[in-house]
Amino acid sequence: MTGVPLYFALVGFGVVAGVASGLLGVGGGTVIVPFLTLAVGLSQHSAEATSLLVILPTAIAGSLALRSRGVGNLGLSLRFGVFGAAGSVLGALLALALPASTLRLVFAVFVGLVGLRLARDGIRGNRSPSD
Amino acid sequence: MRFSLRSFALDPKLLAIGLGGGLLSGLLGVGGGVIMVPLLVLWAGYAQREAHAMSLGAIIPISMAGIATYGVAGEVRWWEAIALAAGSIVGAQTGARILTQIDERLLRVVFGIFLLGVAVLMGVRG
Repeated sequence: MTGVPLYFALVGFGVVAGVASGLLGVGGGTVIVPFLTLAVGLSQHSAEATSLLVILPTAIAGSLALRSRGVGNLGLSLRFGVFGAAGSVLGALLALALPASTLRLVFAVFVGLVGLRLARDGIRGNRSPSD
Repeated sequence: MRFSLRSFALDPKLLAIGLGGGLLSGLLGVGGGVIMVPLLVLWAGYAQREAHAMSLGAIIPISMAGIATYGVAGEVRWWEAIALAAGSIVGAQTGARILTQIDERLLRVVFGIFLLGVAVLMGVRG
């Protein structure tokens, strides 16, 4: 894809990624990066850098919309996000020294199991302690 | 139930989830939300809806750090970023509106399926 159709596709995919981000509280990089590499043909490095620039305004727009509806606590989440920012810099440095692809496979299994549990709890109607 | 979340300001669990979520995110190249939302729900005891909202807010400083350490290193495709963001800023507000109204059980199922998809993508990427 090139030219005008590419940009229509990018805006359209951006809407989908944005809905996922606002609804699920994720940045959207999980879906944006594969889209940029597989559908647009960017390199992994370029896709990740570009995705980061999209995630920031998306998270701000979603968070402001949630704050105006009284869901969550933006001040508190920004504060604990600062620790997350420190952690992510540390993690990026660690990734240079550790076998990241093995870790990713282990973590993939873990994320899959958590996903199964949440989906099963939701379907069965189990409540988390806070509900 | 709605917490008075201000009382959690110094909750060490929140601090640990922030640090741990960010660490794994930087280490594994996955988004912080994939890690923070399950921890907020299953460990810190947040209601599903609140956990998603908290995670989204925390992603603001985390992505800023990502841009500072990684994004500015170059290779950003500006026009692609602008086109995606034009859509995603609109989409995020729709997603946030859905989040405020969706049944928490359904939200949990949708997020669980999303995590399964993430697991498959991570497994494929290896």
